[in-house]
Amino acid sequence: MQGGSSGIGYGLKYQARCISDVKADTDHTSFLAGTLSLKEENEVHLIRLSSSGNELFCEGLFSHPNEIWDLASCPFDQRIFSTVYSTGESYGAAIWQIPELYGELNSPQLEKITSLDTNAGKTKCILWWPSGRHDKLISIDEESLFLWSLDVSKKTAQVQSHNSAGMLHNLSGGAWDPHDVNSVAATLESSIQFWDLRTMKKTASIECAHVRNVDYYCKRKHIIVSAEHESGMHIWDLRKAKVPIQELPGHTHWTWTVKCNPEHDGLILSAGTDSTVNLWLASSSSNDELKTESQVDSPTPWVDPLLNSYTDYEDSIYGLAWSSREPWIFASLSYDGRVVVETVKPFISKK
Amino acid sequence: MGTDEVPLDDKAKRMRDLLSSFYSPDPSMPPNSGNSSSKYATLDDINSTSFDPDQYMNILATKSNLEGLLQRHVEMAAEIKNLDTDLQMLVYENYNKFISATDTIKRMKSNISGMETNMEQLLEKIMSVQSRSDTVNTSLFEKREHIEKLHRTCNLLRKVQFIYDLPDRLGKCTKSEAYADAVRFYTGAMPIFKAYGDSSFQDCKRASEEAIAIIIKNLQVKLFSDSESMQTRAEAAVLLKQLDFPVENLKAKLFEKLEQSLTDIKLNPEEINTASVDPSPFASAHEAAVREFVEAVRAFRVIFPESEKQLVKLAQDLVTKHYVITQEYIKKRICSADLLGVLRVIWSDVLLMDEVLQEASLPHHSVEAAKVAVKLYVSSVFSHLLQDISDSLLKKDGAEYSLEVALDASTKVVLEGSINALLDLHKILDDDLGLLIRLRELTIDWVQEGLQDFFRQLEDRLLLFSGRNNSSAIQDHGLTEGFQGDKAFPGLILVLAQLSAFIEQTAIPRITEEIASSFSGGSVRIHDSGPAFVPGEICRKFRSVGEKFLHLYVNMRTQRISLLLKKRFTTPNWVKHKEPREVHMFVDLFLQELEDTSSEVKQILPQGIRRHRRTDSNGSSVSSRSNPLREEKLGRSNTQRARSQLLETHLAKLFKQKVEIFTKVEYTQESVVTSVVKLCLKSVQEFVRLQTFNRSGFQQIQLDVQFLRTPLREMVEDEAAMDFLLDEVIVATAERCLDPIPLEPPILDKLILAKLAKTREQNTVSP
Repeated sequence: MQGGSSGIGYGLKYQARCISDVKADTDHTSFLAGTLSLKEENEVHLIRLSSSGNELFCEGLFSHPNEIWDLASCPFDQRIFSTVYSTGESYGAAIWQIPELYGELNSPQLEKITSLDTNAGKTKCILWWPSGRHDKLISIDEESLFLWSLDVSKKTAQVQSHNSAGMLHNLSGGAWDPHDVNSVAATLESSIQFWDLRTMKKTASIECAHVRNVDYYCKRKHIIVSAEHESGMHIWDLRKAKVPIQELPGHTHWTWTVKCNPEHDGLILSAGTDSTVNLWLASSSSNDELKTESQVDSPTPWVDPLLNSYTDYEDSIYGLAWSSREPWIFASLSYDGRVVVETVKPFISKK
Repeated sequence: MGTDEVPLDDKAKRMRDLLSSFYSPDPSMPPNSGNSSSKYATLDDINSTSFDPDQYMNILATKSNLEGLLQRHVEMAAEIKNLDTDLQMLVYENYNKFISATDTIKRMKSNISGMETNMEQLLEKIMSVQSRSDTVNTSLFEKREHIEKLHRTCNLLRKVQFIYDLPDRLGKCTKSEAYADAVRFYTGAMPIFKAYGDSSFQDCKRASEEAIAIIIKNLQVKLFSDSESMQTRAEAAVLLKQLDFPVENLKAKLFEKLEQSLTDIKLNPEEINTASVDPSPFASAHEAAVREFVEAVRAFRVIFPESEKQLVKLAQDLVTKHYVITQEYIKKRICSADLLGVLRVIWSDVLLMDEVLQEASLPHHSVEAAKVAVKLYVSSVFSHLLQDISDSLLKKDGAEYSLEVALDASTKVVLEGSINALLDLHKILDDDLGLLIRLRELTIDWVQEGLQDFFRQLEDRLLLFSGRNNSSAIQDHGLTEGFQGDKAFPGLILVLAQLSAFIEQTAIPRITEEIASSFSGGSVRIHDSGPAFVPGEICRKFRSVGEKFLHLYVNMRTQRISLLLKKRFTTPNWVKHKEPREVHMFVDLFLQELEDTSSEVKQILPQGIRRHRRTDSNGSSVSSRSNPLREEKLGRSNTQRARSQLLETHLAKLFKQKVEIFTKVEYTQESVVTSVVKLCLKSVQEFVRLQTFNRSGFQQIQLDVQFLRTPLREMVEDEAAMDFLLDEVIVATAERCLDPIPLEPPILDKLILAKLAKTREQNTVSP
């Protein structure tokens, strides 16, 4: 496909699963990527897109003690990020700080601000307060949800509240609602659960099989996109959660992750184990009323929601991140450690 | 010479004119002056009254040459000579007349002198005759007066006699059934009865009224009796009317009777068509009834000439009723012959009635109703066909549901059913019934439209069977429910897929042919939107739907296996795995599922050509060029042999071409099974990547994969891709293993053999 060649590549040394946009860096388009190597020394790469936009270079390389299963950059401090790591037998989570003057050190070590130890099951992911400076963090492990209060200066983190999802549930990940900071969506085996952070109680759930990943629309309230193993992707309106408002076919094999564009609602990226990244344009209109109307008589000209399929990958893709600084740019990370940055500009301008 | 004749004629005419003007009292007004004077009223006209000789001479002298003047002179001289002779003749003639007139006057004078005396005598005689006649007249006057009086009395007496005789006479008339006379008598007597009925002729009046009442009664009886001839009945009606009898009542009554007779003419389609003999007893009975009705109508019209409107309504109601019954009948699933039978009966009825009631425009009415009926029939034919197909797909008598049978049945129903339906409908076109000939073009359109609609609905129905997956709404539930629910089990989906392919590839072309040969040229709407049946569109639809189904089938099968795999790979703690003792039992379940799939597939899909696809890669793919890092990593493993073994697989991969994994699913057994296997193995790889293994865990996976290799090879069409994926699983496990030391081949073999032996044993025990 045409998109394949336009990407800018960057190789991590090892296999990798996670990449994150450095939101707090307003001067550069940067991404953080962490490797997943069982036996080798793992690394965190700070990758920066050159100002000309056609080259990726390594801004910093830091060793990380364990293989990284999840990585999230702090939204208010570009030097802080969180990882979820595995020692082979157990999982842990920690907040790290990139040392100052790292460029001058030979093998810069990450400063561990604090670890988020819960003594509970496998930690799955860390969620930062959606935007702005705030000390709240959420960690999700298999059974429960923890709300942490982080004090960077004192380098401590305390559990503010937590609750268990119940014995039979198996949380796998989640997303923090950018429009309602008291609400968090968590993915389970066969549903998406919504938690109210004030009470730490489950408020609602969407029945939905094999959810792998969810993401909220950034500009429109109440809309969430889910990626499912077997059956593609669904877009839900939380107010009418029985029925998805749209279904997208997803990938040939599992649809692994889904990311909504920070600026353009309806512009969705998905990545899957069939080694492709798909760019979708969900049928959306700015007005909710219009939306429902157009749903009623929707056999109007049907457009393929798939805008483009990027196929120039060698292995399954687990990592995907939009740049929040330049919202037409995204980075994808395939299992073989290759970071590819692409622009979707040609497809946005088409609209 | 023509030129000479005209002036000669002119001359004679002028002469006559001149002469007559001479004799006529007013010279300015000659008899034909209007004509001639206007013609010659020029200055040089010698004949005009305003002739001026000097001017004439001047004109002549200036206009003509000498020769012309000379000639004119000669002409003039001759003309003057002629005039002279004519004048002499006239004088002579008039003189003669004058002499004879004098003679006549002389004779008259002598005759008149004797006449006066004769006249006086005549007057005298006439006077005496007159006086005599007067005397006779006066003497006879009295007698004449008397006679006249007598005559008047006699007349009066005769009249009275007539009145007194009237009851008897009426009675006699009644006896002899001369009702017309009776009525005439009675109406004649009526004024008298009116004037004197209350006094002198009271008895007489009563008697005659009684008689008339009897007559009226008789007339009514006559009117209502069907046995009487129509004329007599009509006469009776007329007579009743003359008697000032309230006929409207009678009319209403008679009309009611007519209506009653109508209810007897009830169309019974079953009986029309069940009879084996050609003019079935019902049909003939029906026809007789209709004929009777027609006769009745005819009579009615004669009797009450202003009753058309009611009759028209009645007849139209009858026709409408017929069609209502027909429509009911159509709902009962009939063949076109039956429909034709019914329509034929109706049409014959209509024609019969049309003879007597042309105002009702029954044929038109009937054509309109028949349009509805035929359209209904066409749509019912297709809806029945749709029902048949659904039935054949969902037929489940007993627990056994053979996919093969279902597929056979459904393809057969689709093809034969639709062809039969078309043949059946074609009978309607072939029929020469006048009614249907008018509908022919419309029928063709309806059939085409119907067919188009049918396929559209069939598609919807198939989608419905597949678990409502077109309404994306409930798909997730549909999928989960699909496992228990009887609607969308994978086998059915597969049947649907193959059925769609069959429709696209076989049925549609065949039907298109049929349409082209029998239903072409329906054209009422051909100009605005083209023929209603668009095979291309249908084909496209079914192709995509078929692919969708096939895909869905693969997905459903994969999902079942996926659940199994998920359980297998997420449950155990791989880091603390024990040393492998035997091939894990999930392999059996996995193979069992695949077995189920392939047995289903074998029932339905054709066998494909076995081939190894290693060619062009346009689909998405997974790396086959392996990462040098991996080898490096493996290089460090402890056991030399094991390492070299792994290295081998890696190196082998290096030299293989990039293998396609996700290829398009085709309608063959192998392609479907292969797709399922590929998707499952890919899932295994992904599951493995999410775990961390110790050495034993790795060895367990190695063992299981090794065991799977052979049976899978049997099933799969694309061995290269399968091998590649199995290798990928091992590589992925090795990558996720803390201590990737493979099992020694002898141990591997031993364990596999043990497993095989055990399976064999089970197989010999179980069946």
